[in-house]
Amino acid sequence: MLRFLGLVLFGALIGGAAGLLSTAFVSAVLWLNDWLLISPRSRMMFDHPGVLMAATLLVPATGGLVVGLLHRAIPEQRPHTPADVIAAVQTRAGRLPARAGGLSALSAIVSLGSGASVGQYGPLVHLGATLGSLGARLLRLGRSDDNITIACGVASAIACAFNAPLAGIVFAHEVVLRHYALRAFAPVAAAAIVGHVIATNVLERGALFHVGDTVLPRPWEFAAFLVIGALGALVAGGYMRAILATGQLANRLPVPRELRPAMAGALLGLVALQVPDILGMGQETLRFATIAGAFGAGELVLVLVLKLLATALCLGMGFSGGVFSPALVIGTLFGALCGSLVAQLSGAQLDTFVFYAVCGMVAVTAPVIGAPLTTLLIVFELTGSYALTTAALASVTLASPIAAQLFGRSLFDIQLERRGLDLSAGRGRALLRRTAVAELKSSDCVTLPPGTTVGDAIFALGQARHGEAFLVDDHGHYVGCVSLAELEAARENGEHRKRLGDIPESPRPRLSPATSLWDAMAELQEVSGEALPLVDEQGRLLGVVTETSIARAYLQSSEELRREEHGSG
Amino acid sequence: MAAVDPRHARGNPDLPRAGSLATSPGLPGSLVWLLVALLLVSPVGQASDKATLRVLSWGGAYERAQQQALFAPFSAATGRPVEVMQYAGGIDELRRAEAEGEVPWDIIDMTKSDAMAACHEGLLQPLAPSLLAPSPEGTPPIQDFLPGSLSRCAITHSLFATVVAYRTDAFPGRRPTSIDDLFDAQRFPGPRALKRSAAANMEWALLAYDVPHQELYRLLSTRRGLRLALDRLGELPDIRWWQDGQTPVELLTSGAVVMASGYNGRFFDAMVNAEAPIEILWDGQVQEHETWVIPRGAPNPDAARKFLRFATSTERQAELARHIPYGPARRSASLRVTEHPESGADMRLHIPTHPLNAQRVVIKDEAWYAGTHERIQAFFEAWLADREAD
Repeated sequence: MLRFLGLVLFGALIGGAAGLLSTAFVSAVLWLNDWLLISPRSRMMFDHPGVLMAATLLVPATGGLVVGLLHRAIPEQRPHTPADVIAAVQTRAGRLPARAGGLSALSAIVSLGSGASVGQYGPLVHLGATLGSLGARLLRLGRSDDNITIACGVASAIACAFNAPLAGIVFAHEVVLRHYALRAFAPVAAAAIVGHVIATNVLERGALFHVGDTVLPRPWEFAAFLVIGALGALVAGGYMRAILATGQLANRLPVPRELRPAMAGALLGLVALQVPDILGMGQETLRFATIAGAFGAGELVLVLVLKLLATALCLGMGFSGGVFSPALVIGTLFGALCGSLVAQLSGAQLDTFVFYAVCGMVAVTAPVIGAPLTTLLIVFELTGSYALTTAALASVTLASPIAAQLFGRSLFDIQLERRGLDLSAGRGRALLRRTAVAELKSSDCVTLPPGTTVGDAIFALGQARHGEAFLVDDHGHYVGCVSLAELEAARENGEHRKRLGDIPESPRPRLSPATSLWDAMAELQEVSGEALPLVDEQGRLLGVVTETSIARAYLQSSEELRREEHGSG
Repeated sequence: MAAVDPRHARGNPDLPRAGSLATSPGLPGSLVWLLVALLLVSPVGQASDKATLRVLSWGGAYERAQQQALFAPFSAATGRPVEVMQYAGGIDELRRAEAEGEVPWDIIDMTKSDAMAACHEGLLQPLAPSLLAPSPEGTPPIQDFLPGSLSRCAITHSLFATVVAYRTDAFPGRRPTSIDDLFDAQRFPGPRALKRSAAANMEWALLAYDVPHQELYRLLSTRRGLRLALDRLGELPDIRWWQDGQTPVELLTSGAVVMASGYNGRFFDAMVNAEAPIEILWDGQVQEHETWVIPRGAPNPDAARKFLRFATSTERQAELARHIPYGPARRSASLRVTEHPESGADMRLHIPTHPLNAQRVVIKDEAWYAGTHERIQAFFEAWLADREAD
């Protein structure tokens, strides 16, 4: 009990630190945007068109150069993202490297500050998580607690950046932990509350969107929201595909990795001369998209496509940043487009235009981050409008499952799958697949040369009280396996003096050091026996893995997950 | 920050100029105070060993109210005579005086945009918040003053507002309650009088699109935002553009228009003193700050600081707001404002910063206007020329 309360308190502490860091992060980005003539306000206040044009071209490119150089200091040569957080938590590997985390946050500040078309919430989530992991390491906490402190940092970062504590809590559970154990809930909630308090007292921000009067959508419009959800899933898929494809394309470019963001920045600046809406996080564009008449239909399509491509370009070429804020903009533009179409078809002036914009927004963002509940809560907490939240619910109902079927649970999951971590069947399988069976190696077995006679073998097994013997030749190579039952059968047949190598042996699967616990369990379905041989690439016998140890490890892993996911304290 | 456009920095437009003062009723009481004050400050008055505090202010009814609420009580409390000089805003004179090393004023009543420019040029003394008195409840100044009131060289004492007023008899059975109604020519038909200027009009137009007030200037920083705002303005069929602050009051009281934008002080005058059937729509009011500053070369900076502390105390601010409908910068003072000493009108209904009136306010972004005013105004004028050509 005391330990649990301590964990809650520690969660609140992590929340406070993550909240303060998030605030500093957001302020630094805003300051850079003003100072580097990226924000519309600073651009309007600056009255030298020539310099402004030069800044538009040079700032993103220079920012890209700095980002590229920063990433050289990270072992993987790429910024760390929420996908790394999910991987660390889901595989219970736990530790997030502080140095890479700090560098990623720094390069994200530079990316966002210099106007790259990327999001800020991803880096904030990763920053919070790194802080949580660091805290757990300082206190030498175990794996489960480590996961909880990571979730605390994540929840606080979201609670603070969006000023949406409920969304922060749900995001930590829905995306990072992927379970709703009470044991995790209390510390995460404490962290989110602290983040929220910091946000309301330090960061003064207007609501992301605002709904004036209590206009309610007509009943038939909910059908439209459902359809927007279904179509939004396709937009989300296109967005995710574009990001991944640009990343692959970038790897084939004959340009050094550290120069790629600068290239992307230069191209971005060039296009931004014509369409400045694609620069930066695009909060102004987001707001305009909720206003009927701010964009023409053709303009909506143009900005939507350009923003999507700009984001894919920036992220694929190696800028550091999130996928959420651009998805908000793209989704809102998409919703606005649907709204304009519906208005044209129905021939009426839509006073519910903002509903369409918000429905498009959740339809695109929820599949990208794989978090339908979080997205709904963000809408609810930011607008305080129940009508808008129910409309968003209609939209997300189809969006998330369709996108999950067609593309994957989220961009993070797709990225992890490409790195070899498949979370599609839950963490149980992923975890077993990450555990190598070699850890269970035992040398408690009988090994005999193939020249041993049946009689000697029976004697040796009896002495060692084992039921099976593994045959190893003079070079240490594994040859086969015989069981006591087979030997006894041979003796009954009068083959007392026959050499083991000449007895027809029943084939038995071999394990390699890379075999995962998951695969070993699958092999066990086919065999019954004491142990499976562990054989290296040259065919040498390294030892055996007993069936009981595989079963025990499997049960233990399940038990740990069960305790972590259903524990209440 | 860039230099302030001189046209923009004309000064406080809310001040009824001398011309309109002579016609205002209820003067005798003030005149007595004025005489008292003149006696106090005249060099041949009572021999005081303390040097005279020289204040630069705006003259007119405003100065008279200051005389009653601030200057005379200060002299009475400290024995230090106060001499008041007048100006019409701007920082040219101050710049010249500082350059010559002969600054004739100890403290100046300045608009915030002027104060920001003067501070930027190093013409003013820095003012620490510790200079200010806490509220009677003990609230520290940093919490008691409205946001943005305490800057490096200037302390906001009052806020005035550009508001929309309407004729109470123009729309039988209904009243405008939101700034959106300014643009709703169906429910509220009739001509409008608006200032021939982008300022305030653009802010209101975007508010009518449900843009939160925190984002107004960010959106107005884009072509798209400007165009949206002008589109909304363009939907109004009949607009009379005014330039002088008294015109909208006349148009509204004469019934030539049903709604008009204007300065809250002028509408107050018409409502209370002329009993015109008009009412102020406080929703969307655009507030501007009026500050005290101390010139770098002030002859008596210590006395100026003492006066500043005195004049910005909760009690004095509340007293000033009884005489003229300026919103005290202190929350504690806004809540203490009582009735107008001459007409008995409840001044809480007339000051911009009272919580009842300040539910949805726009704080004019002076820094933004300082950098953009000329271009925004040119954009606006081009639109107006197009509109009139059609």
